[in-house]
Amino acid sequence: MTLTTPFDAAIEVHELAKRYEPAGVDALVDVSFSVGHGEIFGLLGRNGAGKSTTVRILTTLLRPSGGSAKVQGMDIVADPGGVRRALGVALQGAALDELMTGREHLVLAGRLVSLDAGAARSRAAELLDTFGLSGAADRIAARYSGGMRRRLDVAMAMVRDPPVLFLDEPTTGLDPQSRRALWDLIRRYRQQGAAVFLTTQYLAEADELADRVAIVHEGRIVALGTPADLKDRFGATTIRLRCPAPDAEAQIQALAGADAAQRDDAGWIVLAVGGGEAAVPDLVGRLTASGPAIERLAVVPPTLEDVFVTLTGTGVEAGSGSADDTSLSAVRRGMGVSTGGGR
Amino acid sequence: MTGTAAQVRFLLVRNLREGVRNPVLAYGLPVVIPLAMLVLVATTLSRVTDLPGFPTDNYAEWMAPAIIMLSAMTGVGYAATSLVVDIQSGFLDRLRLLDAKPSALLLSRLLFDVVRVLPAGAALLVVAVLLGTDLKEGVLGIVVLFLLLFLWAAAYGGLYFVIALTTRNAQAPLALAPLFLPLQFLSTQFVPRTILPGWVQGVSAWNPFTYMVDAARALTTGPLTLAPVAKAVAVALGLLVVTQVASRWAFDRAVDSH
Repeated sequence: MTLTTPFDAAIEVHELAKRYEPAGVDALVDVSFSVGHGEIFGLLGRNGAGKSTTVRILTTLLRPSGGSAKVQGMDIVADPGGVRRALGVALQGAALDELMTGREHLVLAGRLVSLDAGAARSRAAELLDTFGLSGAADRIAARYSGGMRRRLDVAMAMVRDPPVLFLDEPTTGLDPQSRRALWDLIRRYRQQGAAVFLTTQYLAEADELADRVAIVHEGRIVALGTPADLKDRFGATTIRLRCPAPDAEAQIQALAGADAAQRDDAGWIVLAVGGGEAAVPDLVGRLTASGPAIERLAVVPPTLEDVFVTLTGTGVEAGSGSADDTSLSAVRRGMGVSTGGGR
Repeated sequence: MTGTAAQVRFLLVRNLREGVRNPVLAYGLPVVIPLAMLVLVATTLSRVTDLPGFPTDNYAEWMAPAIIMLSAMTGVGYAATSLVVDIQSGFLDRLRLLDAKPSALLLSRLLFDVVRVLPAGAALLVVAVLLGTDLKEGVLGIVVLFLLLFLWAAAYGGLYFVIALTTRNAQAPLALAPLFLPLQFLSTQFVPRTILPGWVQGVSAWNPFTYMVDAARALTTGPLTLAPVAKAVAVALGLLVVTQVASRWAFDRAVDSH
């Protein structure tokens, strides 16, 4: 891998648009962002929001209807061959040949990208080892578990040691253990200076793995920043309280001036803090000084899910868009009512 | 970047390996129907040769060369179907992202359709000899026969690539596989041209399979003359060129527009 690179950014996207004809559906509208080397960039969105369209365009499989994009300084439309040679790609759904073994997949990939027979074999062995597939190397893909398929899929993307890696929903359908293992591999790859572009519909994944996140909704990027930054800007901190007094809820609401104190089924009072974490000490001070007796108190930091709900109107997996606002979402989260996946 | 020839080799190895792991469809299908037909027809219809003007008294010998050419048609579409499955599964996108050239992707599949008729043709030839076929034109005839069989397999198989890539439906080649039935009956496979009804004689002249059958007979049971072989090669080459141009066009559209 070349660590010293003349390109400012690994991926530069400028007002990218995709309109599907003849239906006239706008899949992407003026999407702009850039991804640096040594960065994991997460594109977060619901199914159909435009994630895969973005990936297919940036990997040269689909032509954009407008705007421009460069990968490693090469234009995706003018030089698709050059772009492909800089890319490792694992598309959605782990496309494998059911009748080929893991090793055969990797050797074929190596040969196609111009490794000689010996180099292709040793690269395959190395990747099988890295991805924990050595034991299953000579089994056909049809007998692989979902997690093994995904790992082989990502391993294939890494055959040419690309400076830019695209992973389209790499952990969908994986159990938590396999997911963490894959996260570790992706982080290690970033450590080598690669740019990693991943799409996900798991909010926790974007939060934990991505250095920066873009939220895409109906083909537009509605927010872009580090997870912490997004949570600061669009999230809400909540306080959970347990109070014996039956009317504690109303007292707290009056004191806090918050409009979203509710009592959940388990008896906790959940309160959204308008001013974020900075406002918590003062609020707790007021509550303990003049509020009802408090048995227990917990502060719950904002999550990307709140951000997502704020910006898109619904949870990641919810279908219709009732316009919940941030604090209500936060309250529901505090109450253990999930508005979507990725918790 | 790897050359097209090298890529064809890597991808053909993949297809051959797959064929070994799925032997019934890959290697069995081309041979089963022709073999059954040869044995059944030779035994049940042996008295056809009593017809006035029939050139041989061994019906198996009459049928065998035609049925060897038929093996390129009965199992047809396997490679075309596999290609559509690759498109649908996303595996083809993956190969393209690994620099695989469209020509290499198509050619490796087509060559597999060619390779798989070799065991079928060989088995049929052995059975033909066992049933008393006299191979008057010897080794040279047999070598040219197999070259023509390969060419015919590529040309006829190409038709199914066009069908598969135009419909983008993996089932379509299978559904149209029985096309060999009318082509058989509208050719000189079963009886000499002179015994065919007048209208069928006319149609058979437009049926490419007729030329394969006539050439196959000239190359095996004789007598060997240049004309039927040259005509067969010309017809098969023509069909090959047309189907390859069309399937490349359909391929580019299939992988580009969605």
